[in-house]
Amino acid sequence: MNLQLETEAVRVENLSVNYSVVAESSPGKKRKFYEKTTRKTKIKALDDISFSIPSGKIVGLIGGNGAGKSTLLKTVIGVLKPASGKIDLWGRPHLLSPGMGFNRLLSGRENVVLGGLAAGMTLNEVKEKQDSIIEFADIGGFIDLPMTTYSSGMFGRLSFAVATHIRPEILLIDEALSAGDAAFKERAVQRLKDLCESALSIVVVSHSSTLVAEMATEAIWLHRGKIKMQGEVQSVTDEYLKFQAEGNETAQLDQR
Amino acid sequence: MTALNSPKITRKATRSGLPILSDYFRETWRFRVFAWRWSLADIKARNFETFLGRVWHVINPLLFGLIYFIFVGILSGGGLDSISYLAAIVGNLYAWLFFSQIVTLAMAAVQSGPGGILGQSAIPRIVVPIASTITSTNLFLRSLIAYVFMHLIASRGLHVEMLLAPIIIILICMFGFGFALIFATLNVYVRDVSRLIPHFLRLWLYLSPVIWEYTRVLGDGSLNQIARLNPFYSGVTAWTISLGGTLDPDGPKIWEQIGVFSIWSVAIFFVGIFVFISKEDEFAIRN
Repeated sequence: MNLQLETEAVRVENLSVNYSVVAESSPGKKRKFYEKTTRKTKIKALDDISFSIPSGKIVGLIGGNGAGKSTLLKTVIGVLKPASGKIDLWGRPHLLSPGMGFNRLLSGRENVVLGGLAAGMTLNEVKEKQDSIIEFADIGGFIDLPMTTYSSGMFGRLSFAVATHIRPEILLIDEALSAGDAAFKERAVQRLKDLCESALSIVVVSHSSTLVAEMATEAIWLHRGKIKMQGEVQSVTDEYLKFQAEGNETAQLDQR
Repeated sequence: MTALNSPKITRKATRSGLPILSDYFRETWRFRVFAWRWSLADIKARNFETFLGRVWHVINPLLFGLIYFIFVGILSGGGLDSISYLAAIVGNLYAWLFFSQIVTLAMAAVQSGPGGILGQSAIPRIVVPIASTITSTNLFLRSLIAYVFMHLIASRGLHVEMLLAPIIIILICMFGFGFALIFATLNVYVRDVSRLIPHFLRLWLYLSPVIWEYTRVLGDGSLNQIARLNPFYSGVTAWTISLGGTLDPDGPKIWEQIGVFSIWSVAIFFVGIFVFISKEDEFAIRN
């Protein structure tokens, strides 16, 4: 019987995740026409990690490129399957994914509906929130033009506005603040903080250690698919920054 | 949240296999409006930048039919005497196009994923081919408008068999959807499938009684009987009769053809769903 010992939101036990990619077998080498040019490589993205996130906490997930942060988020939402171990969730998770479900040939207004539905909202919910989303994005008359005419900043504003108007129980954020100007970023951070208060359980922020330090109370540091450190956010981010300054943070392919 | 309650969702290592079907289809049902809206958006976006816009949905199949109309006329020795026969061929081509488009659009959609949805959410993967099949059905129904013109020009008249056309359309839809799911799943494992499919479909078109009749080319011998093992034979034959009426009282009966095609369609529909759902959790790590 798998029971919750305290008010947990997420429990990860001995989780490992692998995936395979197709790569050129021997780059630069000349081959006969009948020789196979590609090979499959199995990547061990997460290697036997365990942690628990209490309900109501904002936990930051930090680490370099290839550390396994995005893999962990995708496994929590159910896109990737564990190779071993398990994840228990006490709420429906949602990955904040700007631009998900959009068709860029259509107008921003039409994409508000598509994006909202793709995020799991009902049509009525989308219609109720449509004005608020458009107001938050603040892109003026562009809202009725095809999204192919948008600058990357406008695209970022609208997609962020759609993605943050849902009410998830467990919210996962992965590099959601990469677009928009300084003024919009400030509003976006405030929007995320508001969301954190209304989310039933937890928000996990990833990638940006500055953002993590600003928003989270606890942090988990992933390094090459393993947990390097976890605990109070300041001490973890300090250690991580020290580690980076020493030049130890390089991406590594852990193949099997 | 109370203490000592069990988790709402558990993700763990499992062998590939069927998920809990009631949960799966409930979740699929939750995204039905997304599938519908995404399909409408896709259709709208198709001819968005063209001068004629939505009119292309009718012009395109009309031109497609006209090309085969002339092509078959030349092949039959300039025998454009039987306009009704040629209109029947165009009607058959639209049915074929409907089937092949369901397969090709679904494969492309599963491979790319609309709006990046497959890589970023746990939406049931079957929602994507459902959306693309809605698109194919919508485009097919528009092409029927073009066929109506040809039917009138050819004075093919009204027949009681036409009332069965909706049943055949539903069966073709199930037939195509099932094949689409099988091919889309195969394509995730072996990318070469997407390269082979256009050639396979073209070969299948010429092996089916779409632009020719078996008896005209093969006679009534054993070759004809072997050719009738083609799963699409009964579907196309039923469709031909439903549009043109029963011209030959000794020829195939529409109810028999619908019966045989129903067996094929239902079987392929469920096999396709089984294959797709039991393998879809591997799509993300292989795509």
